[in-house]
Amino acid sequence: MDINEYIDSGVLEAFLLGALTREEEELVLLKLENHPELRVELQAMEDAMLSYAQTQSKVPPPALQDKIWATINTPSQNVHENADDVEVNEFETTRKSVVMPFKPEYRRPLISWKYAAMILALVGSVAVNIYLVNEGRKAAEDKLALSQKLDKLEANQKQLAGLLATYQKSTEMKADTGMQTIVMHTVLVGHPMAATIYWSKGSGEAYVAMEALPAPPKGMQYQLWAIQGGKPVDMGVLKNDMANTPQMQKVDKLVTSSEAFAISLEKEGGSPTPTAQNIYVLGKA
Amino acid sequence: MGTPVTYNEDELVGLLKKQSREGFNYLYQQYSAVLYGVINKVVYDEHIAQDVLQEVFVKIWNNIDSYNPQKGRIYTWMLNIARNAAIDKLRSKGEIMKGKIHTGEDVVNNVSKGMKTEQMTDSIGLRKVVSGLRPEYESLIDMAYYKGYTMDEISKEMEIPLGTVKTRMRAAIQQLRGVFGK
Repeated sequence: MDINEYIDSGVLEAFLLGALTREEEELVLLKLENHPELRVELQAMEDAMLSYAQTQSKVPPPALQDKIWATINTPSQNVHENADDVEVNEFETTRKSVVMPFKPEYRRPLISWKYAAMILALVGSVAVNIYLVNEGRKAAEDKLALSQKLDKLEANQKQLAGLLATYQKSTEMKADTGMQTIVMHTVLVGHPMAATIYWSKGSGEAYVAMEALPAPPKGMQYQLWAIQGGKPVDMGVLKNDMANTPQMQKVDKLVTSSEAFAISLEKEGGSPTPTAQNIYVLGKA
Repeated sequence: MGTPVTYNEDELVGLLKKQSREGFNYLYQQYSAVLYGVINKVVYDEHIAQDVLQEVFVKIWNNIDSYNPQKGRIYTWMLNIARNAAIDKLRSKGEIMKGKIHTGEDVVNNVSKGMKTEQMTDSIGLRKVVSGLRPEYESLIDMAYYKGYTMDEISKEMEIPLGTVKTRMRAAIQQLRGVFGK
């Protein structure tokens, strides 16, 4: 096969994604050795894959860094592990030959058959016990996995029930004639964002849903503003975990009058006046 | 969304081989989030994910001598360690449940995805880029890379011929290269 055909076949991509059998991987590795242009191609793919993985990055809990270092730094952990666990392709690496010291053999008289049978029975019994203990452990692990899966499903179900309740409430509010629905649209070109205010002019009660606002970066928080007499008036900060969900939260303050509503991104805890370039969405009442 | 990796690969390998605290701190700061992200794509439980992350760092630390630059980049090697460790953990914990629960989970995930009005809005726009990957490509990468399916299994699961699996893999990675390429 010509090298371009080889590249076009998608075998390198399958190799990168770990979808090849060990035999197929070996063939790819051979090809890579003989064709530097394949290596260049593969490296470009690796870079793209890293970038993709980086978009899904998640910062582990801060305490973990010291904990892991403590584990690494414990001498008992510094034993080379079986390379087979480490990487699919790395099976020839850490297997070192062990040199056994040679000792002249000391020959005992032959053990009697009776004695041998006893030892055999003992060994057999120990083996059966080890087997049973292992089986028991495996069953316990399976059970743990099962209950974790169930927990996860249950959590998902709760989340769905919560969403349903939110939708019901939102439908009721929309049906309430005393309630005005104001959709705030994006003011940043190229960033499609939106949030909704449900405002009862009569009672001054208001609810807000940030259904299409991105989660705020660390240390920042969204803040709601009512425009009264052309001036923005603070209506309180919004909970970070409500961003990008259709869930509604009650506005802390009573909104007696308002010409328009806006949401801006502020430092945690809010600001006395909105930061002009951080006003994300705006809607006229 | 870590910063792009600018560290020279040879230098990083050298740093790791020195086995110093500084080397570890650098490794951790640069790669813990992306490795943890990979692990979290595979296992759902946070405590298990943290255990796996620890295992992964220990493995990287203890096996850096067995890293062979001929076979790929250092971070590919590390990502693979993370992915393999996570998949191993998942398999050791819940092999029997695999078939049944997976389908249920996927349904739930799809429903909650569909309910989010706008998944594509992110101030930096990265989510958008990722979602910009065609859905069949995204699920292909998920199955192969994060769930450890072989091409045979993917072909059966997605009900497409083996040749098409490979072609699609190529197209998927090509699209990623288009998005992230320099």
